[in-house]
Amino acid sequence: MRILLIEDETKVSNFVTRGLSAERYAVDTAPDGSSGIAFSQSYHYDLIILDLMLPKVSGGEVLKLIRRKDTNVPVLVLTARDSIQDKVDIFEAGADDYLTKPFAFAELLVRVKALLRRGPVNRASSIHIVDLELDRLSQHVKRAGKRIDLTSKEYALLEYLMSNSGRALSRTMIIEHVWDQSFDGVTNIVDVYVRHLRSKIDDGHSRKLIRTIRGVGYAIEEEGDS
Amino acid sequence: MKFRSLRFRITAWYAGLLTLSLLLFGVSVYLGLDHYLESSLRKNIGEEARSIGDKVLEDIDKNGEKYVIEETGENYAPEINGRFIRITRQDGSRLYQSNPPKDNSFDPTLVSVNSQPWDSASYRREFVGGEALVLYPYVYSTPEGKRFLIEVGAPYHEISNVLHGLILILALGTPLIVAAAIAGGYWMMQRALQPLNEIAAKAELLGYRNLKERLPLVHSGDEVERLSVSLNRMISRLDYSFQHINRFSADVSHELRTPLTILRGELETIAQQRVSTEHLEMIGSALEETDRLSKIVDQLLSISRLDAGEACREVVRLDLGNLATSTADQLRLLADEKSISLVFNVTPNVFVEADQIRLRQVIANLLDNAIKYTHPGGMVEVSVSSSENVAVLQVQDNGVGIAPAALPHIFERFYRSDLARSRSSGGSGLGLAIVKAICVAHSADVTASSTEGRGSCFRVEWALASGSASFADRPTADALAKVTKSAEQNDSTH
Repeated sequence: MRILLIEDETKVSNFVTRGLSAERYAVDTAPDGSSGIAFSQSYHYDLIILDLMLPKVSGGEVLKLIRRKDTNVPVLVLTARDSIQDKVDIFEAGADDYLTKPFAFAELLVRVKALLRRGPVNRASSIHIVDLELDRLSQHVKRAGKRIDLTSKEYALLEYLMSNSGRALSRTMIIEHVWDQSFDGVTNIVDVYVRHLRSKIDDGHSRKLIRTIRGVGYAIEEEGDS
Repeated sequence: MKFRSLRFRITAWYAGLLTLSLLLFGVSVYLGLDHYLESSLRKNIGEEARSIGDKVLEDIDKNGEKYVIEETGENYAPEINGRFIRITRQDGSRLYQSNPPKDNSFDPTLVSVNSQPWDSASYRREFVGGEALVLYPYVYSTPEGKRFLIEVGAPYHEISNVLHGLILILALGTPLIVAAAIAGGYWMMQRALQPLNEIAAKAELLGYRNLKERLPLVHSGDEVERLSVSLNRMISRLDYSFQHINRFSADVSHELRTPLTILRGELETIAQQRVSTEHLEMIGSALEETDRLSKIVDQLLSISRLDAGEACREVVRLDLGNLATSTADQLRLLADEKSISLVFNVTPNVFVEADQIRLRQVIANLLDNAIKYTHPGGMVEVSVSSSENVAVLQVQDNGVGIAPAALPHIFERFYRSDLARSRSSGGSGLGLAIVKAICVAHSADVTASSTEGRGSCFRVEWALASGSASFADRPTADALAKVTKSAEQNDSTH
């Protein structure tokens, strides 16, 4: 998978490149709009990550030019501006997704993966993690064959963790996915719900599935039986 | 009537000054007239006395005393003219004495005998039976050398009648003039000040949200016009600086985002390396702080957007009670954690028009706040009600409360009522500022009341949307359902 990163802040492009390379993506970087356009026209990319505030040619212009040439390549926009109007403009210009700075790398990765597997999304009706099983149809959750009762919020939280298993999810991501942005200011709602979920899932089991990643968020073990 | 109003004060001042000058004028006219009348009366009786001497007494030897008596009575007719005339011979005996005047105002016989020496005789005043007389003694020597004292007197009431008339005119005229001046002046002041009132009323309505509006311009070419023009210039400058502040905090927030992104990215990269648990802890802590910084930047930006009126675009009709209960349900676990009971007291069918995400944010922030500052085992009550044209959302707790000194500041950005407590609970210090900004953006009103140690109450008042149940005319449940239904139908037809 080849990704083009158009970003003028060297430090940002450095750590994004490093992180994406660690995930085995091939990353090309362009430090400004015009070279970004040049790259995008010279090679075929599976995904373009585009910063909106660029020298020479603005991100918006770059996006329009890319869309004129290639309508299919998914474009993820990075922006420091997040007003409703900005978001509308970004989507109207043809972006597939956007991410507001500052972002957790984990969140960038989740979005990159989601964009790369666009099309028929593999949504299995059930997910297994070690001995934990979640059935999306019946909304039943079992650990070691034993049924666990969850409230709807706890279920939504677990489902979100499990469908991104092995990946750290930030509190902001969890809030926006499980609640909505109205609850963003509420101090420790995610922690409280995770604590409750954890007591229902992990208590009494020697293998703890839900992990806290300090400063980042929460993650559940990698998918699969082991 | 407002006694401190400019209109009242100016009118009172000049009415006072006018009255004073009219009084001074009246007094001087009175005194002047009095003086003039008295001197002309004296001149008058003096001339009369001299003329009696020159014309009547001159030939007394030739014509005899009888002639003098008759001539005086006939020519000078003291009774008809209301005069007193007495002629005394040198030996003190009386030659002539006038009879009482026809109006009987004084009795001539009672007028005292001249006691002064003849060569120094001068005007004198005398009261005769309640009537004041002015007397002029004139010593006349005939060519033959006989001397006579001619006394002519006139009553003062001739003068005082005129003066009384003057006083009457002044006493009636002065208040009339003053009253007319007050009425006219008051009216004119109203005309002159009316534009000021209009300007004041309009200025009252200006807040930082509608600084684009301007005060009415008065094209009168006077000070009022100048005032309205300068006020408008001042509003323009205010508008500019508000925009500037807003733009500034938005710009700062944006500029902070890139370094925060880098900070976060680098820290995460380090965390991926093989580092000791101890270092991992430190990196985690640093990451948490960048998170907090990001949150502050986000919230600041969000407030400046709300202040600029950009953030509430999707205004829809919402059932406040439903929204409050559903929002509280999402936070229930926070309350359960501390064994705080959430109590609802919700009137159905209270509708407001608002941006749903924002309204929910208000409720979530207030509830979060209430739960945070309530002791385990306490209670938080959410109530929704309506009174005339107002929808009321109230979040009440029986927690630690707010100190009276802190109460006026709790909606300010970064205000912390209790440093230690707030730090440990990890708030950004912007939660209530956001609540306030959202309310202001919706023209709603948020207030807090509290008793320290007993609990706090936050009250939000929104304009009631159509179709709500209100206290003013609370319909029966059936009628209510119908009203709601028809309101919903109305909505769907739009």
